[in-house]
Amino acid sequence: MNTNVQEPTVKSSAPAPSMPAIIASSVDEGHRTKAAPFGHALVELGRTRPEIVGMSADLAKYTDIHIFAQAYPDRFYQMGMSEQLMATAAGGLAKEGFIPFATTYATFAARRCYDFISQGVAEQDANVKFVGGLPGLTTGYGPSHQATDDLAIFRAMPNITVIDPCDALDVEQMVTAVADHHGPVYMRMLRGAVPLVLDEYNYRFELGKAALLRGGRDVLVISTGFMTMRALDAAKDLQKDGVDVAVLHVPTVKPLDEVTILREAARTGRLVVVAENHTIVGGLGEAVAGCLLRGGVAPAFRQIALPDRFLSAGSLPVLQDRYGISRKAVIDRIKCWL
Amino acid sequence: MSEGNLLHNSRLAERAHRVRHNAITMAEVHGQGYVAQALGVADVLSVAYLHAMRIRPDQPEWEDRDRFLLSVGHYGIAHYAILTEAGYLPESELVTYGCDDSRLPMSGMASYTPGAEMSGGSIGLGLPMAVGMGLGLKRKKSSSFVYTLMGDGELAEGPTWEAAISASHYKLDNIIALVDFNKVQADGPSPTIMSTEPLVAKFEAFGFYVQRVDGNDLPALVKAFDNAREHPEPKPRIIICDTKMGCGVDFLEAREKNHFIRLEPDEWKRAYEALEARRPA
Repeated sequence: MNTNVQEPTVKSSAPAPSMPAIIASSVDEGHRTKAAPFGHALVELGRTRPEIVGMSADLAKYTDIHIFAQAYPDRFYQMGMSEQLMATAAGGLAKEGFIPFATTYATFAARRCYDFISQGVAEQDANVKFVGGLPGLTTGYGPSHQATDDLAIFRAMPNITVIDPCDALDVEQMVTAVADHHGPVYMRMLRGAVPLVLDEYNYRFELGKAALLRGGRDVLVISTGFMTMRALDAAKDLQKDGVDVAVLHVPTVKPLDEVTILREAARTGRLVVVAENHTIVGGLGEAVAGCLLRGGVAPAFRQIALPDRFLSAGSLPVLQDRYGISRKAVIDRIKCWL
Repeated sequence: MSEGNLLHNSRLAERAHRVRHNAITMAEVHGQGYVAQALGVADVLSVAYLHAMRIRPDQPEWEDRDRFLLSVGHYGIAHYAILTEAGYLPESELVTYGCDDSRLPMSGMASYTPGAEMSGGSIGLGLPMAVGMGLGLKRKKSSSFVYTLMGDGELAEGPTWEAAISASHYKLDNIIALVDFNKVQADGPSPTIMSTEPLVAKFEAFGFYVQRVDGNDLPALVKAFDNAREHPEPKPRIIICDTKMGCGVDFLEAREKNHFIRLEPDEWKRAYEALEARRPA
C-alpha cells in the first residue's frame, strides 16, 4: 500500500516555498462549511444538561471549546499545559457525577495521556468524553502534532468507545450521542470551518452503527472520519467514468459494527477499500480486515491510509496528496486497483 | 491533654494495633507482601478513618462522606486492614487477600472493594484524581474532604506536581494529601533513589498548607489531621508523615530490605508475638 507516496528529497539549501505551510483545514473547493460545530453543539447541549462541564489543557481556542467556556465560564476548567492531570482530574469530576468533555490535540490525548486515560478513566468506567483536535493528517506542523496513530492507540484500550466524525453534522450529532452514552469515549474532532457533507445523504449518527451512504456495484469503500467525505467525492467523480462506488461510513471505530460490515462486504464482486485518515497500522483498515477474516468473508481488499512513518511538515493539501488521502489520490488509487 | 483526649488516643492505639494484626493476617496468606508498609502506615490510616473522616461504613457511597483515594495501589493490604477495622469489610474476608476472585486484590482497585474510591497502582494518579474530585465537590457545594495517600517514591512522578500546581490554582482547600514518608522504595532507600527534599519547602512553594509529623505518633497525627481540616486559608493541605517501615514488629523494623517481605512459615508466629508484645496498655 501507499506505493505512490513520494518522500521529499533532502536538499542542502532551503527550497523556495510553494505555499503557506500551515493550513489546518481539509476543506476542498466546492464544500459548504459550518463554523466550530463542536463548540456550538456543546453549548446547546449544556443548556439542558447542567452536569456537562468543559476542560482543556491550554488549547481551548484551538479545539473550539472556548465557545462553551464563554457561554458557561463557571463550568469550564482550564487545566493549563498538563494533559495527564486533565485526563485524571476528568475522571475525578466524573466520579462526582459530572460529564467532562476534555479537549486537547489528539496526539497529546493519545500518546501523552495513555496511562492516565487507561487507569484513571477507562478501567474505572468514568464517564469522560475525550475530544482530540487535529486528528490524523490535518496539520502541517509535523509529527509532534499529527495524530496519525490515535485510533490504533485507543482501539487497544478496553472499555472506551472510539469515534471519528466525517463532517460538521457528524460532530454535532456525536456531541449529544456521547453525552447520552454512559462510559468513556474518545472522539476525534474537526474544528474551525468544518465541511458539511452528510446532510445530503439522509444520515443520522448512531453510536456503534455504520451507515451505507450510497450503494454501488463495483467498489465498496468502508471509511471513517473525513475520508468518508473523500470517498463520497471520489464516488461522484468515478461515476462519470462508469465506476459505481458504494460508501459505508463507519464513524464508530470501536465497537465496530461488524454485522453491517460483513453484510456489505459479503456482496460478491466488489472491491473492498478501507479508507482512513490514520496510519495503516492498527486503525479501521486492520479492524475491518480482522472482522472479515473472522467472518469468513474474503473480498479483494485494499487500504487507503497514511504510511507507517513520521510524516513531513508542510502545507496540508500538498501533504494529503503526497500521503494518499486527498480526493485526487483516492480517485487515482481506486482507478489503479480496478 | 484532657482525660477525654487521652481515652480517645488510647482507643485509637488499640484499634491501630488491630489494623496491624489484620495486615499480618493478610500477608500470612501468601507468606509475603507489602506488610512493612502496612505496619508503618497503620497509625496514619487509623487516625484518618477512625478520627478524622466523615464516613458511614455501611453506606460506602454515602454522598456526604469524605473521600479517600489510595494512590499507592500496593498499599491495598494496608487499606483492607483499616477498612476492616472501620467496618467496611468483615474480618473473615481478610484471608482471601490476593486470592482468585477475592474482593481484596493485591493492588487496590475501585470496582473490587467496598470503600475503595479509585484504582491506584499506576503511581501518580492520586493527587490528579483528587483535583478532579475536589473541583466536583466544590461544584456541588459539598463540605466533604478528599484525602489521598501517596508514597514518598511517588513524589518523583510528574503528574503529582501538575496536580499540586492546579490544586493551589483552584484553591482546593478540600484536599488533604497524605505522604507516607517511609524512606524506602522498590530499588532501595528513597533518599538515594531520587531525593525529594526539602519536601516541606517544596509543597509550601506550591501553595499548600504543609505539616510534617511523626507518622507513628498518634497524638501528633490527631492534631495534624485536626489542623488540616480546620486551617482557615483557602489552600490545599498536605501532611507529610514520617513513618517507620514494619512499625510494631521489632524484627521487621530492623530489616534492611523491607519493601517486599517474605517470611518463613515459623516467622509469622514470631510476628504476631512481637506485635502482641507492643500491644498498647
